[in-house]
Amino acid sequence: MTPFYFGTQGRRLFGIYEPAAAGTSGRRAALLCSPWGSEYIYAHRSLRQLAIRMSAAGIHTLRFDFFGTGDSAGDMAEADLAGWQHDIELAIEELQAVTGMSRVILAGMRLGATLAASVATRRPSDIEGLVLWNPIISGPAYLENLRNAKASMTLAGETCFIDETWMVRGFPLTPALRQQIDAIELLPVLTDLRTRTLLLMTDHAVTPPGLAGQPLGKIDIALMSGVAPWIEDPENMGVVPVGAVQWIADWLG
Amino acid sequence: MTQGLSEQPVLFGSHAALVGIFTRPVAAPDATRPTLVVLNTGIIHRVGHHRMFVTLARTLSASGYPVLRFDLSGIGDSDPRTDRLSPIDAALADIGEAIDWIEKTSQSRRIILLGLCSGADHAVLYSHTDERIMGVILLDPSIPPTLRHYLHFVVKRLSNLKSWIGLGTLRSRTLRIWANYVAAAVWPRRSSLHPTKLRLVNRHTVEHHYQSAVDKGIRLLAVFTEESTRQTYREQMIEALANVNFGDALNLEFIAGSDHTFMSETDRTRLTDIILDWLATMPA
Repeated sequence: MTPFYFGTQGRRLFGIYEPAAAGTSGRRAALLCSPWGSEYIYAHRSLRQLAIRMSAAGIHTLRFDFFGTGDSAGDMAEADLAGWQHDIELAIEELQAVTGMSRVILAGMRLGATLAASVATRRPSDIEGLVLWNPIISGPAYLENLRNAKASMTLAGETCFIDETWMVRGFPLTPALRQQIDAIELLPVLTDLRTRTLLLMTDHAVTPPGLAGQPLGKIDIALMSGVAPWIEDPENMGVVPVGAVQWIADWLG
Repeated sequence: MTQGLSEQPVLFGSHAALVGIFTRPVAAPDATRPTLVVLNTGIIHRVGHHRMFVTLARTLSASGYPVLRFDLSGIGDSDPRTDRLSPIDAALADIGEAIDWIEKTSQSRRIILLGLCSGADHAVLYSHTDERIMGVILLDPSIPPTLRHYLHFVVKRLSNLKSWIGLGTLRSRTLRIWANYVAAAVWPRRSSLHPTKLRLVNRHTVEHHYQSAVDKGIRLLAVFTEESTRQTYREQMIEALANVNFGDALNLEFIAGSDHTFMSETDRTRLTDIILDWLATMPA
């Protein structure tokens, strides 16, 4: 495991590289993309376990923090989706340079998954496979969920408003970022994908509204219920959803 | 915020398995300034709730204080230890290794521990065992309840409709917490409570750790939040630990309206100001 900074001087990003376990083939590499806000905080443990499981399966992994999040440079209010997609591209290039692989797997959770899917459509020749763990499918629905944070959280508080910025469980959601999120529509992105993709929905065992019956050629859909590691759950603090993690590892097989 | 600062990812500990970020000013450091070590809050990794420890470390470093934020073994990005220590002993050993790393790399032997909740408890437990510790910053540490605490707590709950609904449907979180404490007292081996809480829940034990810290000349900044369920009024720490002679070692602050994790940016700014003011009083 190697923690390091990469990127540019104005956009220094923090990453953790986990090489494939000794004795494995080590012929593949995966980039993990995190959720935003409090979802990033609570999902950290599960994403690390996913990286460890991938490493054991012979896959080099790089986890990283988007600009303005986690240990990366920048303030939280500087966040923007175009910048974060650029961060994914920087991280892909870093992972390619470190491992010597020309193609990598992108695996993202929540907002990180949606951004990964967008990058995959732009750079199909760089992407070997795509794992989307409960991606944000509709920007407006996600914003509504953030706005009503109180209803879905027990301990981590509610959304409040400071001027035009929403403070969502302690994280600032600026008008500019809201506007960008509002424009998210994943379905056209999914139908454009030319990459083998796993769409993993683990909170409710149903195909997301809007996707049922759609022609999603290269996409495998896996459904589980009751697993949402991006949400604070006082009854199951720190529990890693090993079933979901194993599902991903098996699919990448 | 990161201009003029250096942020360095570090691996340290006996197996280089502990992961941290060392933040320090780029300008030549003032050797008299202590180095702060920020501990995990529960199982939240070194970034902290609402990224609060990243922002805090950068602000403190901009004022000349180096800061090491790191993950205890088995938390965040740090691997579990292999020496079979109990969770609490492992945490204390990790803190020692973090301070060893600081001393080795920057020759600093003036250390201040900072922690929220379980992190504060770890700070108190460790502080008096290491002569390099000159201060501790305790955010909502575990403090035994007092009669006045219970009265405040009950009055507050009785005025809350949700509490009545929870009690009526036996889904009350408070009821569950108290049931856990009773269970911990009756069946300690089967308790799911965090060992740190068990270690500190006994008043005499808590008093011993605080008195030992004071006796070693360690200065304490204790910051309590109003919305935490642990304490309900500013002086609770003094009344709960009546046998501790704090002398002038203790600075006590109470942030009205703040929740336990400092979710409001205003409360986080207030906390940072309190810490900077207190650091300025530390002897050179």
